Amino acid sequence: MAAHTHNDGHAHGHADHHGHGELQMGHHHVSSTAMFTNVLMVLLVLTIVTVAVSRFDFGGANMLIAMGIASVKASFVILFFMHLKWDTAINKITFLCSFVFLSLLFIFTLADQATRRLDHDIHVVKTKVDKQWVHPSTLSGK
Amino acid sequence: MTTNVPVIDAHPTVPGLPKNYLNCSRGFMSWAGTLDHKRIGIMYLIGTLLTFLAGGVFALLVRLHLWEPHGMLFTNEKYNQIFTLHGAFMVFLFVIPAIPGALGNMVLPLMLGAKDVALPRLNLLSFYLWLSGAVLATLAIVLGGFDTGWTFYAPYSLYTNQAVVTIGLAIFLLGFSSIFTGLNFIVTTHKLRAAGLTWFRMPLFVWAIYATAILQVLATPVLGITVLLVAFERLYHIGIFDPRLGGDPVLFEHFFWFYSHPAVYIMVLPAFGIISETVSVHSRKPLFGYKLIAFSSLAIAIISFLVWGHHMFTSGQSTYAMFAFSFLTFFVAIPTAIKEFSWVATIWKGSIALNSPMLYTLAFLIIFAIGGLTGVILGALNVDLHLHDTYFVVAHFHYVMMGSIALAFFAGLHHWWPKMFGVIYDETLAKIACGIIFVGFNITFVPQFIMGSQGMPRRYATYVDEFHGYHQVSTIGAMILGSGVALMVYYLVASLLQRKPAMENQWGGVTLDWQTPTPPPLENFYAPPKVTHEVYDYSTLDLKTLQRPVS
Amino acid sequence: MSHDGHHSVVIPAPGPEFVPHTVAHHFDTPVQEFQSLKLGFWLFLATEILLFGGLFAAYFYYHDLYPETFREGGRLLSWKLGALNTSVLLASSWTMAMGVRSAQTSQKKKTLIFCGLTVLGAAAFMVVKFFEYKSKHDHGLVIFTELFSGYDEAAKQLPWFKDYDGAMANVPHGHMFFAIYLTMTAIHGIHVLIGAGLILWIMKGTAKGRFHAGYYLPVDLVGLYWHLVDLIWIFLFPLLYLVP
Repeated sequence: MAAHTHNDGHAHGHADHHGHGELQMGHHHVSSTAMFTNVLMVLLVLTIVTVAVSRFDFGGANMLIAMGIASVKASFVILFFMHLKWDTAINKITFLCSFVFLSLLFIFTLADQATRRLDHDIHVVKTKVDKQWVHPSTLSGK
Repeated sequence: MTTNVPVIDAHPTVPGLPKNYLNCSRGFMSWAGTLDHKRIGIMYLIGTLLTFLAGGVFALLVRLHLWEPHGMLFTNEKYNQIFTLHGAFMVFLFVIPAIPGALGNMVLPLMLGAKDVALPRLNLLSFYLWLSGAVLATLAIVLGGFDTGWTFYAPYSLYTNQAVVTIGLAIFLLGFSSIFTGLNFIVTTHKLRAAGLTWFRMPLFVWAIYATAILQVLATPVLGITVLLVAFERLYHIGIFDPRLGGDPVLFEHFFWFYSHPAVYIMVLPAFGIISETVSVHSRKPLFGYKLIAFSSLAIAIISFLVWGHHMFTSGQSTYAMFAFSFLTFFVAIPTAIKEFSWVATIWKGSIALNSPMLYTLAFLIIFAIGGLTGVILGALNVDLHLHDTYFVVAHFHYVMMGSIALAFFAGLHHWWPKMFGVIYDETLAKIACGIIFVGFNITFVPQFIMGSQGMPRRYATYVDEFHGYHQVSTIGAMILGSGVALMVYYLVASLLQRKPAMENQWGGVTLDWQTPTPPPLENFYAPPKVTHEVYDYSTLDLKTLQRPVS
Repeated sequence: MSHDGHHSVVIPAPGPEFVPHTVAHHFDTPVQEFQSLKLGFWLFLATEILLFGGLFAAYFYYHDLYPETFREGGRLLSWKLGALNTSVLLASSWTMAMGVRSAQTSQKKKTLIFCGLTVLGAAAFMVVKFFEYKSKHDHGLVIFTELFSGYDEAAKQLPWFKDYDGAMANVPHGHMFFAIYLTMTAIHGIHVLIGAGLILWIMKGTAKGRFHAGYYLPVDLVGLYWHLVDLIWIFLFPLLYLVP
């Protein structure tokens, strides 16, 4: 049976690679302790950076910067701790897909929210009645 | 596609009598604890058919109530509960799980030449999650019912004094049942294909189930978190869907339709898969546009994530978002039309055998053309503003869900029934039932298109007198449809009791599911199959073996 | 029971303190079994991402709608405790990765130690979380004892959000931040507990010698789950404690 494809994307010759794992489970990659420790150090430093940049106000870029740093940290966890760097193509695609499709939820939902405001602005300009914009959903809270 | 191993022979030279998956072990636990994909498929089949019948009874009650403009049977509140039950049972307990759970489980590993699905324990867990969901949903009826419609729109679902948390939990469990089924099929398709079974030699049913599985895995978790958030709203008022607390109910609709629009394709893609099989086998002709059909399944899966806002044209969504969603919606029509045309082209100049699965298939092709095209009409923003929440919408999605998906399910059920049980039903009755269902269905829903275009709103317990005639015709149609389904249930059950043996290869299929004994043995194949021919290659079909009844 | 005359494949144990692993009957090779289960688990992790994704979408939606509420709310959380918990989880991710590595290299004792340290990390995380929740409770920002009391229709008030200090008095819908904070951290916390339970289960199997270089798949998968818990927290920390 077995139409499985063998792993092609894995790095041979890494620090202490154990051949017998390959023979028995088809799995392959054993990372070095030093690599894991280095990744941990990077993550801790980036945590400090996260806190540090939150002290400064970059205006609208605040969220982008915070999420950018978090994404770099996340990439380190995914690639090294979760071994995705050495995993099969289909596993990489699978995990990547979850973020791609999640971004669709974000993009359309937030675009609706953002452009609804635009809708309202146009309405306000047209009628020239109410200059102060109030989002409909805040009205009920008063 | 045939194999170079003569596995079609039901009496292989292995010691002992050949036992099939049905008689290899006995007793309650041999079923309740089974890891065999075929037995799990049978359990799904029984379960989903029972919920289909329950949902059907609710539908008939709705139609009976609407016989008179002021309602015949229920109070308005009770009517709200009955149509909600009809929707929730049909969507979550029947349409979504039926084809993947029952037929997918039964056939997919056979088509791949595998001994089982990749994760048999998870498969059994999926079934029990489905069962728990079904039990909880039934419990919710006892606990006071629920009247929110199957869509659970906030804020009404947050305020109504009914068993919304219970049904929410049921849907959470059903969601994970669906996720695990999809996950299992993706892994099985990737890792357990027989030797020589390349991606483009896979039957199109497998492609369809695979595309469905992608949707199940990627969309359903959002439904899970949405029903959890509704439950949290009711339990401790987080406020994110509750306008009293500064929340926005439109966000609920975004979350809900992010799942529920792809869910439409979770329901319909497996139906497409069945039709691809039945059209080819009963026309004894390779599918026209094999690769186009395969890729169109994937295209539909992806596009379905980009169009959910077309359910929200009257919700207060921004005009700009509506433009985008309406525009993107039309793209779904392209891969869908590719399929419809390819099926019709497959039949053309084929050696058509009007067996009952083929009759159901032809009924599907006609009804789906209407169901699909009215969907395009509703995707047009300006038209939908008029038709939104009218019977036009009801008729449209019943043409898709009942007329297309349920009929495709019946086509698949009749197609693989001899494979599953080794018995054949009464073909004459089957043909009659198919005719009754087709006629009854159209009588039910054509008047609803007309009423809807004239402004009859959906989900109302009463209506103005001018719609009286349409409603009465629709109710009569529903009764005809119901009697057709009753006849079908009768002859299918009777076939199990009469035990008239089926043929080894009842319809002359050449995919791997027809290359194993009927019914299949426990691990499906006596020898690991090896695929050496292209898919749907009927030239090598051994006509003599078709005539041999199963022992 | 196999009809095709093939017997199930057995992966031998690398030493007397380990037990061999029998490949499930419907797989032909250990590679097929390994890859199938691993792909299945990555798919499961993808569903977790989308499940949490809904919560993140809600966060961004209301962050956009009520920026002041989120800014003020974020100030009331202790970023120091948040940073401490971030470090604890990152460190526990390291110990988990080391635990998987030890299983891959058949080092039973080291596997147990590293998995044990990871469980300790989970415990430390939950203890810090407890004190955080308690502080929110004491300030009337999330009154846990009143959580399920229902919305007070007459007073138009949420019983679980009293804001004793008036810290959120000048922003609209102050409860919104804390509702999202509570929901996200509680669901994350449940994942921490499930993860810790799974690691304990792995330790039991390791003690019995079930996991070794020939077969360490369950350790690997539980490790992936634990890293996912860490991954989600990496995003929660800046969003909740250092609201941008």
